[in-house]
Amino acid sequence: MQYEGEHLWIGHLGHFCTILSLVASLVAVYAYARSTALGDQPSVAAWRRLGRVAFLIDAVCVLAVFVILYAIIYNHWFEYRYAHQHSKRSLDVQYLLSCFWEGQEGSFMLWSFWNAVLGLIVIRTARQWEAPVMAVMSVAQVFLASFLIGIYFFDLRVGSSPFVLMREEFPQAPIFRDPQYLYKYLVDGNGLNILLQNYWMVIHPPVLFLGFSSTIVPYAYAIAGLWRREHRSWTDQALPWSLFSAGILGLGIMMGAAWAYESLTFGGYWAWDPVENASMVPWLLLVAGIHTMLIFRSTGHSLPATHLFIAGAHILVLYSTFLTRTGVLGDTSVHAFTGEGSTLYGHLLLMIAVFTAWPLAWYLRRRREVPVVREEEQMSSREFWMFIGSLLNFVSAVYIIILTSLPFFNRLFGSRWAIGEDVSFVYNRVMLLVAFVIAVLTATTQFLRYRQTPRGHVRPRLWVAVLAALAGGLLVSLSGILDYNVYGAGFQAGIHITLWASLYTVFGNAQYLFAVLKGKMKAAGASLAHAGFGLMLVGILISSAGKELVSRNRTGIAVPGLKDARGKDENPLENVTLIHRAPMPMGRYEATYTGDSTDPKGDRVYFNIQFREIDSLTGVTVDSFVVTPNAFLVKGEEGTQLSSNPGSKHYPGKDVFVYITSWLNPDNIQDTSSFRMQPALEGDTAFYSGGYVTLDRLIAANRHNNKDLPVVDSAWLAQLTVHASDGRTFSAEPAFLVKDGLPAVKTDTVWQQNLLLTLGRSANGQIEMGLRETAAATRYITLKAYIFPYINLLWLGTVLMVVGFLVSAWHRVRGHVRAVKGVSGR
Amino acid sequence: MKKMHIILLVVIAAVIAGLLTWMKDLSTYDTVASARRKDGRFVHLIARLDRSAPVVYDPIKDPNFLSFHALDSLGQRTQVVYRNAKPVDLERSERVVMKGRMQGEIFECSEIVLKCPSKYTEDPGVQMRRYEGAGSDTAAALLGS
Repeated sequence: MQYEGEHLWIGHLGHFCTILSLVASLVAVYAYARSTALGDQPSVAAWRRLGRVAFLIDAVCVLAVFVILYAIIYNHWFEYRYAHQHSKRSLDVQYLLSCFWEGQEGSFMLWSFWNAVLGLIVIRTARQWEAPVMAVMSVAQVFLASFLIGIYFFDLRVGSSPFVLMREEFPQAPIFRDPQYLYKYLVDGNGLNILLQNYWMVIHPPVLFLGFSSTIVPYAYAIAGLWRREHRSWTDQALPWSLFSAGILGLGIMMGAAWAYESLTFGGYWAWDPVENASMVPWLLLVAGIHTMLIFRSTGHSLPATHLFIAGAHILVLYSTFLTRTGVLGDTSVHAFTGEGSTLYGHLLLMIAVFTAWPLAWYLRRRREVPVVREEEQMSSREFWMFIGSLLNFVSAVYIIILTSLPFFNRLFGSRWAIGEDVSFVYNRVMLLVAFVIAVLTATTQFLRYRQTPRGHVRPRLWVAVLAALAGGLLVSLSGILDYNVYGAGFQAGIHITLWASLYTVFGNAQYLFAVLKGKMKAAGASLAHAGFGLMLVGILISSAGKELVSRNRTGIAVPGLKDARGKDENPLENVTLIHRAPMPMGRYEATYTGDSTDPKGDRVYFNIQFREIDSLTGVTVDSFVVTPNAFLVKGEEGTQLSSNPGSKHYPGKDVFVYITSWLNPDNIQDTSSFRMQPALEGDTAFYSGGYVTLDRLIAANRHNNKDLPVVDSAWLAQLTVHASDGRTFSAEPAFLVKDGLPAVKTDTVWQQNLLLTLGRSANGQIEMGLRETAAATRYITLKAYIFPYINLLWLGTVLMVVGFLVSAWHRVRGHVRAVKGVSGR
Repeated sequence: MKKMHIILLVVIAAVIAGLLTWMKDLSTYDTVASARRKDGRFVHLIARLDRSAPVVYDPIKDPNFLSFHALDSLGQRTQVVYRNAKPVDLERSERVVMKGRMQGEIFECSEIVLKCPSKYTEDPGVQMRRYEGAGSDTAAALLGS
């Protein structure tokens, strides 16, 4: 059959490019591996040149595939499954990029794209390391390309092509019997998940994937070092790459946290969700690896640990992809990736196996050559405590990944275990302790020296920071903002001392920056990153412990016997219902639902919630502001559903955070009561249960007597006054229109009285007015509101930390370049 | 013995201790029947919404009271009470994972995780039923009805 309107050539081109990129990266692997293995033979350069050309072809193909898929999405060619499933015509242009990362193929493509970009940078900068490093990176490209080819080998489908047509994916569907299906049926796409229609979702995935994909560069250098028996110099370039990777990955993770905070409704930025954990664990290992690498470069210790951490970071990136993309996590994650990747399961396991076996094999082969210092570290040395910190990072990573992998273990062993009642606390109680130790080490260790620290070296330098932390800590502790007694005195004490330790990190590193480095910004990367990390901890502790539920429900029915399992605190009832225009006391505020508005595209409703803070003694309004959470209406099989995005009011010292948990869409009311109609004459009165309605004026207009009536043929408008029995009056203006011979009604509603008013025309042409009373007419929303104090410290700390990492990386790159030039110039 | 060895031993001991306390808190995935047997114990109940029974949620009366019936894969039913706002996709969900405990005849639920029909599903039937592009004619055509 000849189908009309399809754009098949572009899909063929895209598919050709994916296959070419697979072939080219295979060639690159072989050529670079040969070049590495040949050592000093003259043909080395030729093999390397071939590798370069092949990788360049691969990079061009990857870029082409990216552009082609974007063109398909941009042009709304819905004959392609990817466009149909992830986009639609009414989608704003800025979100078209988000369509990429919504699907599995697009995210692999993004990964492959970054890998290609990083590879090109390595080719330009790696010099003698190019061949082995690029061999490793090309293997990654082979795997990433194979996820996109979507070709059957016998009965096994390898990868999933983004260029599959709808009619290839669903060949049985009857619409494809019609050659004009594109014009008649597939005229629009399914659209993008509304949670992804957020500006963070445009930039968070690219940054996160750059972080993920860049972990391969230090990984590749580690293998290259073993491969070429250069056990020291591989770190020259691996170190700045690791710093870059840790900075970008950290930024990507925290952007995800910011997105969760702004558009998800689990009430915070971090929930120990498996998807979050899986991205954090590689970062922890990477940071551990950076520190042991520094130890190694200064003292020769910790090389095996560096190999373990650096290789582990990349392997865990792959493992986290496996966890989040194959549906293994199943019921434990709020992120809906399930069912997406059953074909992916074995494919990703194979990739993990290859990338684990490779460095392991090299390490075992070279284990006798890897230099190990027999001499022990001194307790007073910098390297000793840095190693303790790295080890702690590693241990917490292991703890987190074991807990997160529980669903995978269930699948492996057929068990049915789940993390118990309080998931966050299982993590928090351990990570609080880890954070305390890390915070103390981070501040103190910078003042220690490698090898051995002379007596009396640290104390005179650190007491300022210690005093400042103690004073600041006391101030915060006494302010009561940290009071959090849900888990008893031990946990409460832990929060306080960890806060003091975090302040100590901030002050200690600030002092190091100014007193020791004298503000030399080039060398300040580490201190900046550490101080930023300390600030993050402070922000996390205060905003979590001091998180305040504003919408504590005191008006709803009492719930007898609803006690927490541990019998400690009564579970607060967190939802409060606001009836339109009825002020409701809410914590220290008085909240009023003042109205709502729908955006022009008609699928998002913004609710205006007026908050007034009233001084309880004087009764004076201290503060007044409007928060506008919004909600989407999702059309599902079972009627329209609500999907909610929080709104918040930002202050320097706190965020007031509100989101809608329930809303009755007035259009959706299925009310059984009907209008009571009666003839409408000026001066008429109609009664209802709460009072009466008078018809003050009936205006009739038609084309003949009113030339300004452009849209309709004729219209009647009634001006009504509703007199409630409590003395209040309301006005309403229902209307009846005839347009193109068809009648239409504009109903008006007096929410306060649950009264709907309408105008109509009886069979004999008489204008009538109608009243309807309904409980469902009450306009209300149900919401939750929180205060997050000092959450800005978290964001500020994140920025500082990332800047610190990047400054450090830049500093190392410059140092390395200068060293190389110095050697060659001699 | 070297210092590092001592430290490693301490760390390993700490990890084991951490994991042991964690194991103690572990819960299980249960059916209605097995949750009934563990009356009062915290479990994860996997079931789906029983669409034949009403979902009770009236935010005006009490925004923190939701009641519905759950039906597990073995055909067992229980009433569920969730003292929080109704999850928005409850009616649309195909599977419900409820964390809580059986209190007599009622499952008192503290957290609900919904599994909704995924956009990425590979079953064309579901995919096509979710098709919303061009109205019901299209859906009918796609389903062949």
